[in-house]
Amino acid sequence: MRPLFALIKREFTAYFLSPVAYVTLAVFLLVTGHLFYLVLTGLTKPGSSGIEYPMQALLGDEKFWLVFLFIPPLLTMRLLAEERGTGTLESLLTSPIRDWQVVAGKFIGACLFYFVLWLPTLLYVPILTDMTFPGWNPKTWSFGIDPYPVLTSYLGVLLAGGMFLGIGLFVSSLVKSQLVAAMISMVVSLVFVLAAFWRPDLDSGSLTYRLIYFISVPEHFRRDFSRGIIDSRHLILYGSITLFTLFLTVRSLESRRLRA
Amino acid sequence: MIVVENLVKYYGEYQAVRGVSFEVPKGRVVGFLGPNGAGKSTTMRCLAGFLTASSGSARIAGYDVFSDPIRARRQIGYMPESCPLYPEMRVTEYLKFRAGLKGLGWRERRKRMDYVLEKCWLKDVKRQLVGTLSKGYRQRVGLADALLADPPVLILDEPTAGLDPTQIRETRKLIRELGQEHTMLLSTHILSEVEMAADTVIIIYQGQVVENGSLEEVRKKHKNQSLEDIFVRLTGQEGI
Repeated sequence: MRPLFALIKREFTAYFLSPVAYVTLAVFLLVTGHLFYLVLTGLTKPGSSGIEYPMQALLGDEKFWLVFLFIPPLLTMRLLAEERGTGTLESLLTSPIRDWQVVAGKFIGACLFYFVLWLPTLLYVPILTDMTFPGWNPKTWSFGIDPYPVLTSYLGVLLAGGMFLGIGLFVSSLVKSQLVAAMISMVVSLVFVLAAFWRPDLDSGSLTYRLIYFISVPEHFRRDFSRGIIDSRHLILYGSITLFTLFLTVRSLESRRLRA
Repeated sequence: MIVVENLVKYYGEYQAVRGVSFEVPKGRVVGFLGPNGAGKSTTMRCLAGFLTASSGSARIAGYDVFSDPIRARRQIGYMPESCPLYPEMRVTEYLKFRAGLKGLGWRERRKRMDYVLEKCWLKDVKRQLVGTLSKGYRQRVGLADALLADPPVLILDEPTAGLDPTQIRETRKLIRELGQEHTMLLSTHILSEVEMAADTVIIIYQGQVVENGSLEEVRKKHKNQSLEDIFVRLTGQEGI
């Protein structure tokens, strides 16, 4: 297990040695910060135009997913494409580490950075849920608004993120250029986001809508996660696509040894 | 220590290595010679486990590199051609990472790191970013990495390529020193290097072994010609 931990550590710290990480963090905070501001304005507005579910306004919105689309590819593009491009893959694959450990190490490293990306947004939670802290004892804390939609939203965000990172990692194993890796993984990820943009034109009872609902991540958040519902279909989709792309990445590394 | 039997490697339709067989007994330093594109790097990559051979087998210290890759790779210190490194890491960070990959515990790691930093003259630059190092120093970092886990077998692909004469002399001295403890397979274009550092030569041409033996044997067989003449004659490039 020691080689795996060494690799996770290196992949995670490598993010902080390049400007990409800081730019991603800044852009991401800017976008979530702006959405937070919009939600607060909506929540504090008097009258009937307020917001029913705060998390829905944050994560159920297509605008958020349009920006989010760029984040996982930026995190995964360098993972394997860079190593192939500069040739360091050779020293990595000739050290005593199994291919699945290489893939797992890189994936976990990327996931850890993705968690860090979301970490600052936890500051919004006490405000969004109208939390009161009378003392240090957690039992005395109370929420003005139901806190469970927040929990389910974070669960959804972490698992959906894993899926997008898995897709990005697989694409990164196929090409040598980081730019190409980022662009292809964005196009593939678009499949899981795009459908939400058609929603206004679709009859929500139609077969087409019910079919695209299965793979449309923003819809999962708008209808379920942000309202405190955990629908196992979504979790199974995210989990199975993550595992499948990781499996394909291991295979892709193996085939690299056979070809050239 | 190294046993290669009938190794064949295809790149698509092109056969880069065509049935290479040789054996390197323990404690030998073998110069692996051949013109560009003869299949040296491909053979070495198959041995190090970066490529899987199309057919044939290779064993390092008794472990098959295809069926028991992890244990075979533990026996090898491999330095790839042109020595790719992560430019954004410091020398010590890089070596620590590599030590982790090779499964060294922290106590062992500290001991080995001191040793390789000393041995490869990296003490002065150990805090420097790898990306800011000159070619010669980078080459030494690669060598330090190969030595890190104290493997019985060293496979070095052109360790002196791109170095200046002083650095070549230093590296050669180091190789000779290391040759006393490690079994070594080193590829090079500089023939005088083989004469100074190695005791056995393997000449490979168009993916096949054309000469294999100790330096004296090979010289005697070719009527005491210089290694350069032998090389040119065997690789069919005379008169060019």
